[in-house]
Amino acid sequence: MVREEPRAFVHPRRFIAFAVAIAVVFSALTVRLYDLEIVHGGYYHELSEQNRILRLPVAAERGGVTDRRGYVLVRNVPGFAVSVIPVDLPRSRETELFQRLGALLGLPSDSVGDTVRTQRQRNPYEPVRISKTPVPREIAFAITERAELFPAVRVDPESIRLYVDGTLYSPVIGYTGPITEDELGKLRDQGYLGDDDIGRTGIESIYERYLRGTYGWREIERDAAQREIKTLALQQPIVGNTVVLTIDDRLQKLLDAELRKGVEEDRFTQAVGIAMNPQNGEILAMVSIPGYDNNMFARGITTAELAALNADDRHPLVNKAVGDQYPAGSTFKLVTGLSALSEGTATRSTTVNVSAMSFSVSGTTFYDWRAHGPLDFVTGFAHSSDIYFYTLAGGTPFAPNVRGVGPEAIAKYGKMLGFGSRTGIDLPNEAAGIMPDPVWKLTTQDEPWTIGNTYQEAIGQGFVAVTPLQLLNAYASVANGGTLWQPHLLKQVTSPTGAAVPIPQAQPIRKLDISQENLRLLRESARRVVTIGHAYMPKARLPIAGKTGTAEFGAANGKDSAGRNRLGFHNWFVSFVPQADNADPTAQIAMVIFTYDSSKSLCDNCFNPAVGMSQRILETYLLDTK
Amino acid sequence: MSVRPLAIPRPATPLHDRPVARRWTEIDPILLIVTLLLIAYGLVMTYSTTAETRTFTGDPMQFVIRGALWAGVGLAAMSLVATFDYAWLGTFAPVLYVITLSLLAIVLQLGTATLGAQRSVQIAGLTFQFSEVAKVLMIVVLAKYFADRRSRIGSPLVMLFGLALLAPAVFLVYRQPDLGTSLVFIAIFFGISFLAGARMWQLVGLVAIAGASFPVMWALLKDYQRARLSAFLDPYSDPQGAGWNIIQSLIAVGSGGATGKGLTAGTQSPLGYLPIAESDFVFAGLAEDLGFAGAIILFALYMFLLFAALRVAFRARDPFGMLIGGGVATMLLFQILVNVGMAISLMPVTGIPLPFISHGGSSLVSICFALGVLQSVSMRREPEGP
Repeated sequence: MVREEPRAFVHPRRFIAFAVAIAVVFSALTVRLYDLEIVHGGYYHELSEQNRILRLPVAAERGGVTDRRGYVLVRNVPGFAVSVIPVDLPRSRETELFQRLGALLGLPSDSVGDTVRTQRQRNPYEPVRISKTPVPREIAFAITERAELFPAVRVDPESIRLYVDGTLYSPVIGYTGPITEDELGKLRDQGYLGDDDIGRTGIESIYERYLRGTYGWREIERDAAQREIKTLALQQPIVGNTVVLTIDDRLQKLLDAELRKGVEEDRFTQAVGIAMNPQNGEILAMVSIPGYDNNMFARGITTAELAALNADDRHPLVNKAVGDQYPAGSTFKLVTGLSALSEGTATRSTTVNVSAMSFSVSGTTFYDWRAHGPLDFVTGFAHSSDIYFYTLAGGTPFAPNVRGVGPEAIAKYGKMLGFGSRTGIDLPNEAAGIMPDPVWKLTTQDEPWTIGNTYQEAIGQGFVAVTPLQLLNAYASVANGGTLWQPHLLKQVTSPTGAAVPIPQAQPIRKLDISQENLRLLRESARRVVTIGHAYMPKARLPIAGKTGTAEFGAANGKDSAGRNRLGFHNWFVSFVPQADNADPTAQIAMVIFTYDSSKSLCDNCFNPAVGMSQRILETYLLDTK
Repeated sequence: MSVRPLAIPRPATPLHDRPVARRWTEIDPILLIVTLLLIAYGLVMTYSTTAETRTFTGDPMQFVIRGALWAGVGLAAMSLVATFDYAWLGTFAPVLYVITLSLLAIVLQLGTATLGAQRSVQIAGLTFQFSEVAKVLMIVVLAKYFADRRSRIGSPLVMLFGLALLAPAVFLVYRQPDLGTSLVFIAIFFGISFLAGARMWQLVGLVAIAGASFPVMWALLKDYQRARLSAFLDPYSDPQGAGWNIIQSLIAVGSGGATGKGLTAGTQSPLGYLPIAESDFVFAGLAEDLGFAGAIILFALYMFLLFAALRVAFRARDPFGMLIGGGVATMLLFQILVNVGMAISLMPVTGIPLPFISHGGSSLVSICFALGVLQSVSMRREPEGP
């Protein structure tokens, strides 16, 4: 019997298949979910945290700089940065805002607009900095108080470097500037960031490692649009260390005042003054005129300002105490004298009868500044007789029995005294100077050495080139009894908590291989330079010893960038002050003054402007009430 | 040979049916309980994904309250529909078909564009997604069509006419454009014809034709749809663009771990990394907040729901009721597969709501309506046993 099954429309196998499909779907979803959440849960959790949490650096202030007594030379002052968040700026108000900001910040409104539009393309939620240089408090307040006029504008504090006596210390302290891509590539590991400033020159550059602060960080939660939601954690930044210099601000200002006065009176166009403690190499003052105002760099130097500095033929950006080299003139007779004494070709009693003002050797005539008559070592040095030192160096007809010590010996002692190589002072861009000898001439000039070269070398002319610091350091090593110290500016480094940070100890470069007797003879001779009246010091109150030098160079006509007359001569006076009026190695201070383009107004008493300045500075500094 | 016994006609119209009050005992309890649990789960997830939204400035409970109101409307609709004999729906199937196409045409004409697609219509300040309603109505239409042609199901013409019924709806939805929902329509067609007994070679043939026409389909796709498919294959080829949603969704799901970060404690969706976190990507938010455990509970509820729906279909008194049950089960299964699959990168990104969990009144009420019909089928089934 066939009877239609009443429920024949139900296909059980199809239902089973459907049920299997359901099971398969949920099994597949479960397996995948297990893999994502259980097997790889940690990995994805990490990713979600990276999404959400951003570590933002918190800038740390750079450390300050003070003189040896704690007088502040560099500190930080608050400034402000003005930025715009493009997403918050309604398009209808764009033009109005760009004009207003441009007028307030001294920028063309077009460039403000371009900056904002570029950022809108890149990431409209991220503020873009509009102010190119730190904005003063008044402008910042003008913006924040009238916020309705400045939609989408943010004002954030930032810190600007203030160089207290900008121009006075700029050759020593230098300045900072934005880090470059190349530097960032090398320094990123040390925690530098893209908008960091880094020391560019001077102390700011050399002691970057002490001055630089340590970034703090702030962990923020952000949404997908990169907007900050809240701060999750904060690590405070650490302020940089304070660098204490060996400089004495009082002496620095005395030196600067004298040198500046000389420039203003048109007695010379440029000047260098350095003072140091011969007993340990501490630099007490270092002035290079003209300098520049490093605050220009701190607030962001304009292209025009930088072009003007670079175009100035007096090179204000160069610290001439260490960065340029000049003929030493008669101050170099120290080297000639010490080499002849040490090699035994001369003694303190070696006598030369300078009976004429000149003599000729193979067609060339060599001059002295007067016919001195008979001179021994002390009077030859004290009167600065060129012929006396020609004789010690190469022999002359004035003293046929005196054998010249020769250029090799002069070079040997010159190098021993530090000429021809960098002193290693803690400043960048130090020049090495030139200490020539016959081999040097042959290799660099491809010409043989002549007797004329020896004579010129003997009086610090010709190929000899020194930095003011090298010259000072050589005299200091004589003044202290034979130790050539490495000159240095770093006195100590203090952490923000006041603790002393370890710094490298001051090191002597070498002990001079010169007898104490000969060093004493040189100190005695240097004192005679003053007492004999060659470096005349009226009403002297200190037993200053020293040596003058005058070197001819270039054209003595025309005017320099500042409109001052080119006068054609450098003048030197290197001095030191023994504690008593004797030749003991007791000097606590040595000083060099170098005047560039000095007038050659020859008179016995006044021809070297550096002498009078040295007397006034040293007497005021050491004797007058502070 | 024997004489065929006299066939006693069953009640042919709802008028012959038993009183409603007695049939309430026949509702499917599992289907009902699971429905209520899923609605509750959906409200919890709406709370979790919206309460902590930082950019949202109003009442943090606003979404939850709105969801609860819609749930009330949905449950009322479900109860009301269950009281009527679903045979009425069959009677009015042609009308329902016209309504379906009309609704979809209205969306195209008056629709409000969101995220580049016209998918909703604003009426009296409320947003309606008519395609959600249309899906349910289409189930009824197709169920009726195949139920009436059960004896001739082997004929290719029946399949072709069925496809012809389906095509306008698919086309209108695709034009919104809403590729995902048009795929739901197609899935419903397959589910119903499969349970109706369509020949396997016909079904396989249709799939084969669809596969063969893929290059043509690819050309017809919009650029963004192509980008989504490419991103599905390799999200990291464009991590900030087309791949963003996929990557962020994976991160959200994976970071949930075994037990999740806790309700409202997820970070991916409140911070905006997870787009459309309360509807399209709601599963990612759920997996982030409640973890693997929360997802398994959801899966279990879904499986109870689907098997209950299948049981109602299996026990239906007539092919129409059976096919409605099969159609609803197919729709739910397909939407779950595509939505969850999308969140865990097993499926390309399409905007299909996750039943009960995605926030959205039209979807919830439509599903409640469909489940109400299912309860009606359950309540009017043949008594079991002899």
